[in-house]
This record gives sequence, C-alpha cells and structure tokens, in this order.
Amino acid sequence: MSALLAFLRFELFRLLRSWKFLAITVGFPVVFYMLFLGERNSSQIVDGTMPWRVYLMVSMCTFGALVAALNAGGSRLATERSTGWARQLRITPMPAWSYVVTKVAASMLVVLPVLALVELVGLTFGGVRLGVGQWFALTALLWVTALPFAVLGVFVGFLVHAETAYPVVTALMFVLGYFGGLFNPVSQMPQALQSAAKALPSFHHALLALEFLSGQTLGASNWLILIGYTVVLGLGLVWKYRVEEARGLA
Amino acid sequence: MSIVQLTDALPPEGTGWDLALRFSGVVRRYGRHLALDHLDFEVRKGETVALLGPNGAGKSTTISLLLGLLRPHEGTVEVLETTARNAVAQGRVGAMLQTGTGSGLPPGVKVAEALTLVRKLYRHPASFDTTVERAGIGSLLGCRTNGLSGGEAQRVRFALAIAGDPELVFLDEPTVAMDVDGRRTFWRMMRQFGQEGRTIVFATHHLEEADQIADRVIVVNHGRVVADGPGATLKAAVSARRLRFVVTEPDPERYDRLEGVTDVEISGSGVTLISLDADATARDLVRSDVAFRDLEVTGACLEDAFVALTQRNRRPQSDIA
Repeated sequence: MSALLAFLRFELFRLLRSWKFLAITVGFPVVFYMLFLGERNSSQIVDGTMPWRVYLMVSMCTFGALVAALNAGGSRLATERSTGWARQLRITPMPAWSYVVTKVAASMLVVLPVLALVELVGLTFGGVRLGVGQWFALTALLWVTALPFAVLGVFVGFLVHAETAYPVVTALMFVLGYFGGLFNPVSQMPQALQSAAKALPSFHHALLALEFLSGQTLGASNWLILIGYTVVLGLGLVWKYRVEEARGLA
Repeated sequence: MSIVQLTDALPPEGTGWDLALRFSGVVRRYGRHLALDHLDFEVRKGETVALLGPNGAGKSTTISLLLGLLRPHEGTVEVLETTARNAVAQGRVGAMLQTGTGSGLPPGVKVAEALTLVRKLYRHPASFDTTVERAGIGSLLGCRTNGLSGGEAQRVRFALAIAGDPELVFLDEPTVAMDVDGRRTFWRMMRQFGQEGRTIVFATHHLEEADQIADRVIVVNHGRVVADGPGATLKAAVSARRLRFVVTEPDPERYDRLEGVTDVEISGSGVTLISLDADATARDLVRSDVAFRDLEVTGACLEDAFVALTQRNRRPQSDIA
C-alpha cells in the first residue's frame, strides 16, 4: 500500500510540475469560459428554465474535467511508454494493476482543482450564486462522474503512439466538448447532431449537474450511460494492457 | 550442430553451485520468426556471465524472458528457484533494459526523486546513499531526467536497477551510449557490485567486454547457444586460425570453397581466411592451383572465434552449393 501511495504521490507531483500540462488544463477551460461569457446576455434562459450563466459554468466544469483527465493520461502516458519507463516499473515488485489504477487515480485527483478553478471563475465573473452546500454537492457530483474521462485518458495513452497521442487527445477534447453541447446548447443544434450528442459521456456529465442544480431528480439513464462508458472503456484498457504485456511492454 | 561446452569451469571462489537461473528448451516466436530455438543454459549464483551475439541473436528476448516480461512458448525458465515473475515480484531481480531512443527514465522529475520512488517499490531496498555511491550518480541527483546525456542516463538507470539490492542483475547492452571512459568506469562499478556475491548476466555484442568482464561467455546465435565457456578457454577451444597470403588477383569465391573456411577478407592483393581447421585449409590451398605466396598462419582473436562460431550454421548450405 505504501508503495502504491508513493507512486501516486510521484505521479501527482509530476503532473502538477509540468508547465505544459498546467497551461493546457488551466488555460483551456478558463479561456473558453471567459470567451463564452461575453458572447451572450448572462440572464438568457436555456432549455426552458436554466439561466445561461449556470449552464455555461457547468459546461465549462465538464470541459475542464475532460481536458484535465485526457491530458493527464493521453500523450504523457504514451510518451512514457515509449521511453521504456513503464517497462522499468514493470520489473519492480509493484504489481501490474497498480500502475493502471494509479494512473486513473492521479487523473481523477487533478480533475478536482480544475473543477474548483472553473467554479471560482463562475463565482467571480460568471455571476453564479449557490449555497455552500450546493457548491460542495455540485463539485462532488461533477468529480465522481468524471471517472469515464479519466479511464478514457489512460486508455488513449495505451492505445496510441507517442507521436500521434497529442493530436488524438486534442481531437477528443473538442469532439466531446463541441458535440457534447458544452460550447453551445444541444437544443440549438440540428436534429441529427442532437441524437449524436446524446450518445456522448460529456453531454450526460453536464446534464446530471444541471438536473441537480434545477432541483430535478438525477436521471437514471444519465448515470447508466456514464457507468456504461466507464465499464466499456475500463474493459478496453484492461484488454489493451494485457496485449501490451504479452509483447513484453516493448 | 556442435556446442563448445566447457562445463568443468569452476565457479568463482567462495560461491556455491546453486543455480541462479536455468533455461531449458526455451522456444519463443515472434509471429513466424523463431527468436529462441530451444535455448538451454544455466547460470550459477555469483557468476558474471556475458550473453554474446550479433543483433537479432535472441539476447534481448532471453533477458525479457528472464524478467517475466515475456513468456516462453515452449520450455521452462527458472529464476532463483522460482518463476521469473515471482523472482521479480519478490524484489530479488534488477535490470537495465534496452530503451531504443528513450531514456528509460520518467520525464519531468529529478534523478533523486526517481530513485526515491523506485526504492519505495521494494520491501528491502539498499540505502539511498549506498545506491548513489554504487552507481556513481552523486553529482546527478539534482538534475532533471530530461537533461541527462546518454551516458549519465545509463548510470541513473543502473542505479534504478540496483536500488532494490537485487541478488541477480540483468543488463541488456548496458554501455551502448557510453564513451570509452564511461565504459571503463561503468564496468569497474559493475565488477565491484558483482564481488558482493551477486549474479550478473549481461548482453553485449562487444567482444572485449564479454572477454574482460565475464567469468563465462555464452555465445548465442539464431536463438541457440553456440558456445559456452570462459572467454579465454573459448578462444583456445575454437580452432579458428587466420591464414594470410598474397596473390596477384584475388578471387574470393574460390577461397570461400576451401575446406574449413568460414570467412574471407580481401584487401588489395592480401587475403585473410578465417578457418576452423587451418591444417585442412592449408592442404586444400596447396592442392588448388592458387598461386599464393607469403603464407602465414596465426591464432584467432575472440572476434574471429565468434565469427567462426556464428557462421558455422551457414556452412552446410554453401557446402552443398
């Protein structure tokens, strides 16, 4: 256990010390948030009852979680596999599963400060007012439901090569962001795109939080879709790790 | 195919006959390519053994199997009286692997941090300071892993390989990025480390390294052991000789057909033949109508022995032709 915690700590330090990682994970959600803020009247109502300012903050939280999780795994993982570091760890007594589990855990942990940061922007510039309990509950909900993104990031890191990982991660970020309705409400998209959006985890991640804030019961189908993504991506990750391992992780 | 076997070699002073590892009948394929073709060898505890062979001989595959990174398709691999995986999980094995273009180190951390982490992954690691001293990385502790030279990175990887205080160390082409000085220093540290009763197995295609560092050299080619013995004995055991002579118009194809010849080198009018049976080659040469002069026969170096041994597999084909 102490070995696992040492590795988790090591991974977190490595993430939080990387300027590239910080610039991307802080920069993207905050800059996008600021850009979108000026775009519309903040009291505009979206989807019947939801004020645009709240809709925007939640969307940017989802986008932030997505960006942080994909970049924590993604190209960083692909790079360290190609340098032989992953293989060096494999020949220490640390069990194979802890490598993968720690990677997912580290991705989850870096999502948390990004959520807090976006919420801070929401509070200071975005005109979002919530009770203390609501802030905490919202953060917890957004955080827990970010698990499929963390698994996806690590999966991508195993799936693609170091040279192609970065464009793949960037493309995923924007596809899941744009088509998940994070930059523009899904209800304002053409019909065909709307049904596509409703198949994406990013859409359901934001929707759960919006349901929570509007006092509705959280949709079971949203949960199921997010859990489904987590399970399928997790199985993919285990499969890919096994394949790599049979090849000696070379 | 004959194997030069010299099993009467004694283990180094003060060590027993216990086996550190055993490879029996190991077959490993990559698709249709046969990387290891019923490979057999044993290494005793306390021995320093070189796996010598050209690129693609199966050295790296052998080391991957010894670390449990790969599994054999046939045969068994025993490491420290258990499976390779168990030996690694118990923290009794350390290794420096080939990393291609990468450094094999975690990007974006200091050397000291990487070493601290790796130590924590073992239950009974060597002390931090001991490892730093053994690998000679005292001056590198504060450096970022990304900024190290090739030779420095190799030393850090050596430190990570021995951080767990392993009984058995595998090194795959460990001096590949080092200059002459770096090599010398590295092997001095390695030898010191081996003197503490540890078993060291390293892969190399540097003949002098194998000859100078190892107690025993195992020559591997096409996934098989072609020779096994102390470097010096290996040289003597192989009957390879150099036959040098001068001709007016060298004709390489003719010399290649002479009995016992495994290699032909021509420079200007000078011809050098490497032969596994110098007497037969000389007789054949005289019988042929080659107008040679200044014939000279000398003993071969380990390199020649090595070439002779690894070329032998190809002989039958050219004999038929």
